[in-house]
Amino acid sequence: MKRVKIVAGLLWAFIGLIVIIILFPGLNSFSSSLSRAPFMKLNPRYTGGAVSKQLISERCTLDVRVPVFNGFLKERNTGFVQLDWRGTLPDKICDSIDYDEDGVKDFCIAIDRTEMKTTFESYNVQAKNIIISTPTSYGWAVRIGLLKVPKSKLP
Amino acid sequence: MDNILTIVGMQKSFGKSLLYSLPMFLISFMFLTGGRPDFSNPASGIALMVVFLFVNLLYFLMHYTGKTDRFRAVLFIIFALSLSYTLIHNMLEVRKSMSFNQADILECKIPFCHLVIPMMLLPAAFTKSIIFPGSIIGGFANISAMVVLWLGATLVLGRGFCSWGCFYGGWDDGFSRVRKRRAIKQISDLWKWMPFAVLLMVMLTAALSLTPTYCSWICPFKAVTEFEQVTSVESATKAGIFLSLFGGLVVVLPVMTRKRTQCSFLCPLGAISSLSNKITPFTVKIDKTACTECYKCVEVCPLFALSKEGIKEGEVSLFCSKCGKCIDACPKKAIHYGIRGIPAGTMKNFSRNLFLFVSFLFMAVFSSGPIINTLQGVLKLIF
Ligand code: SF4
Ligand code: SF4
Repeated sequence: MKRVKIVAGLLWAFIGLIVIIILFPGLNSFSSSLSRAPFMKLNPRYTGGAVSKQLISERCTLDVRVPVFNGFLKERNTGFVQLDWRGTLPDKICDSIDYDEDGVKDFCIAIDRTEMKTTFESYNVQAKNIIISTPTSYGWAVRIGLLKVPKSKLP
Repeated sequence: MDNILTIVGMQKSFGKSLLYSLPMFLISFMFLTGGRPDFSNPASGIALMVVFLFVNLLYFLMHYTGKTDRFRAVLFIIFALSLSYTLIHNMLEVRKSMSFNQADILECKIPFCHLVIPMMLLPAAFTKSIIFPGSIIGGFANISAMVVLWLGATLVLGRGFCSWGCFYGGWDDGFSRVRKRRAIKQISDLWKWMPFAVLLMVMLTAALSLTPTYCSWICPFKAVTEFEQVTSVESATKAGIFLSLFGGLVVVLPVMTRKRTQCSFLCPLGAISSLSNKITPFTVKIDKTACTECYKCVEVCPLFALSKEGIKEGEVSLFCSKCGKCIDACPKKAIHYGIRGIPAGTMKNFSRNLFLFVSFLFMAVFSSGPIINTLQGVLKLIF
């Protein structure tokens, strides 16, 4: 038994030696394999969610993303919708958005890029407030806070 | 003869030590230079060669003197300092500030560090996603590469990662060496269980909020890397917490106690790494037949891994980071590096040589990038 333990220990130590020797030369291939694992994707709370529609104008596009209500075990009652303006943006942006695709505008957002000021007007009780409004490397991004209100309680 | 060598601190002859250092010399040369050092940019070529020679000198000295910890600590501390320099330098160059802003978070451009790993686990299992605004693959400090490096090192070294791999550990390791004597002698070693409480707390809060709460609210190393721009009461509170924890646990307490208090009392990743000590091939063992119970090792251990009761039983606890400090301090050579399954007191030199090769190779290669980068920065400043 003692001898088996010694041999197993030595074997394990040599495997350890090999692991460390191949770790750095193999880092790119190991990490790209790991990146393909099903859980290796960023949570929508960080990416902003998938793009649900794209509004294209002459010099810029507006990506409206899928509302994010992600929670740990179940969806939350609060979330956000992210809007990304890309391309050559005018100094003043003003867009009305129908984020839930029901054919009715839910809010209007106005951005003054020179003053760094954003104003928001809600037409839907579920669209609450501006969480983030910031210039980005690709243009401008805004997150609007959302609240899930049961249909029965909607006006 | 052995005694004389021990007194002057020389364990192997010059030639034998060179022979033992040769594999490290060759393999680190291949890893650092790709087999062909590039001198097209003289500053980077010189920095590369200086770092290569320096790490190999440290490794040679480990063999020549028979001492481990002092040479390990030199590289470990330089690693921590240069990593902070590299991160801050990157931030200042790209963003003109040490803090990141909302756009960096929205665009998922935050460098990933291994301390996030404990908080990723539950969300990865239940939501099949990663709760960190970084890059999954590609770019500086991407999530996949950092996870692979940590997994590999933890599988082989266990909590040895905390003395041979972590680019933060060098901070409190360094400050714990500033004073010769301890100003605070009595600390209840019950505190060493605290990281498990922190681990549980941050895992649960991170899962429930889907945010890496330790990074957002607690991590002392934000003070020497990057943190959120102070734009509100909340961000100011966070910055206050980061700075106080850094000042208290990384600077003041290590200086006063000569212990690595941040790693011993706070770090949740340290807790996970401790558990991995149960399976790793390399361990630290006590030869009870040689031990005279002088407890010099208990006194010097910076991570509360040894206790008088444990020494009597011949046991090193799971908190051990394999730093080698106790081994260097033991006058009877009773505590030593070992391999799982091999009885204490046997194959001591073989175990030490194999462990040193594995752990030092990891640290040398992992640390070389930031150290070369820092040295290059220094060379540019001078010339
Ligand atoms: S305890 Fe944490 S900070 Fe300290 S060395 Fe280990 S992982 Fe790094
Ligand atoms: S037991 Fe020895 S090797 Fe382990 S952490 Fe303490 S001093 Fe370092």
